[in-house]
Amino acid sequence: MKKISLLLLLFSFSNLLSQKQLSESNTIITELDTYSFIDKTEFKFGYSGNLAWNNGLNIGAEYLWQEKVNTKERKGKQKRVTHQFLLDANLGFTTNFSTKTDTGVFTNYGLIWRRTNTKGKQFSIALNPLGYYRSFLPETYEVNGDDVNKIPLPGRGFYAPSLSIGLGKLRKGKKLTGRYFNINLMLRTPYNAGTLPFISFQYGYRFNFKKKK
Amino acid sequence: MHKIIFNTLRTALIVLMVLSFFSCSRDDAFSNLSDTLFVRHKDADMPAYIHGNGSEKVFLITLHGGPGGLGLGLRGTAFKNIENTYAVVYFDQRGSGMSQGGYSENEINIDIMAEDVLALVKVMKRKYGSDSRFFLLGHSWGGTLGTAILLKDQNEFLGWIPVDGTHNPKDMYREYIANFEQVANEQIELGNSIPFWESVHDLILDVDITFNRNDISRLNSKAFEAENKLANDTIINRPDGSGDPFFKYNLMTFLWNIRNIQSIIDPDIQGILSYTNRLSEIQIPSLILWGKHDMVVPILFAQEAYDNLGSIDKKIVIFEKSGHVPMTSEANQFAEEVIRFIDQNK
Repeated sequence: MKKISLLLLLFSFSNLLSQKQLSESNTIITELDTYSFIDKTEFKFGYSGNLAWNNGLNIGAEYLWQEKVNTKERKGKQKRVTHQFLLDANLGFTTNFSTKTDTGVFTNYGLIWRRTNTKGKQFSIALNPLGYYRSFLPETYEVNGDDVNKIPLPGRGFYAPSLSIGLGKLRKGKKLTGRYFNINLMLRTPYNAGTLPFISFQYGYRFNFKKKK
Repeated sequence: MHKIIFNTLRTALIVLMVLSFFSCSRDDAFSNLSDTLFVRHKDADMPAYIHGNGSEKVFLITLHGGPGGLGLGLRGTAFKNIENTYAVVYFDQRGSGMSQGGYSENEINIDIMAEDVLALVKVMKRKYGSDSRFFLLGHSWGGTLGTAILLKDQNEFLGWIPVDGTHNPKDMYREYIANFEQVANEQIELGNSIPFWESVHDLILDVDITFNRNDISRLNSKAFEAENKLANDTIINRPDGSGDPFFKYNLMTFLWNIRNIQSIIDPDIQGILSYTNRLSEIQIPSLILWGKHDMVVPILFAQEAYDNLGSIDKKIVIFEKSGHVPMTSEANQFAEEVIRFIDQNK
């Protein structure tokens, strides 16, 4: 009986605590209509590759689509967690310098979900279902029966959606407003007789052209 | 003074121009080839890496193992030695290495892969001239593919060099078991790696007597393990690792490709395909190179190839201190044999 009373007491206490927290938390959905396009857009540039084989560059833009800010009072300190949905666009280049047989340009578009905590630390998931990869090959000859023809600008196009998971950090008051480190999975299909998974790292910085207030 | 300087400069410029003209001559360019070409054939783009001395326009086209191996995986000490005398072509086969393309599983089979290599020959002739001459070398699975190529068209080649090659995958299963039993008994008698060779005995007892797809994978893995043990016990030379292409190929692409292509090709090959009865149709000069202690493609197949090839001019060379890769365990002797064969038949 004692145990049950204790459990009931604990339950009531935790319930009370959560109610207190709820009453102190505040969620604000940011009115983005008042922001200009430039205010809502950040640009990014960085390294893209896997160090050992493929190396390249990636540039892109992120357009803030929705934002929700949660503020909470906990232990006398205010905690502020921002959740954002951003439209994502990327353009990149990659090559294997040793043989130059895996050179390509890619572009992809999709959506990023990003969480930013009080300290500015960020966690992002980017899903870019609209993607295209175009390989660029060295000197290439096409053989049809006995005909052999040199191909101008040889290469091959692939549907290339991608998924990135990454960490980042806001850099308040700096020209480069944030940095990020993502692990990216890009699929190239049809690749040979299937779909090639291609894993790379992305490390870079974000910046914007917002007017300083 | 100005005139003297001007005249000196003019003379130097003319000399430089003459020198640069000769330095860019085609003969010189051919003597130290380092080209990468892609062959587009039947929806696949396949790289060929051409290295070495092409001054005589003699090219040794190499076929890697696997299926799903790497063309440049062969480019170790032995082949670099050969490159000093002749040009060597390292080719990433369809669905392997850095080959790319878009095709269905039906468009990847040994027949199309053989046509790919004949397409490569046409590209080489277009690039380096129709007077180019070719030798064909196939290692392991490359021995299967090479045989298929020559049965389609051997007129393009002046010689054939199977290296520990599988012209008869049908009988591999049976021979794996027989060879394992014999080598395990020999090694136990010598007191070498006894626990390992006893585990080989256990494996032989555990596998099916007739062909079984899962069991051949187990036997194949054990064969590589066995060669490692033979190297530990100094029965064979340890491969020198000079053909390591780690930075040349994306590891993930390689692993994905090899898993894919083996799942497509192997069911049509293992326990089914045999070219033994058709080897007599191959009549170009042939040099059979084999490691005496090859556990992956046992030496019985070397003799079988020699006995059945239709060539009048044929030779078999057994490397006493080698397993499946004599080009890396007895590299210098390997290169000498290949160069001598090409010298005699070019």
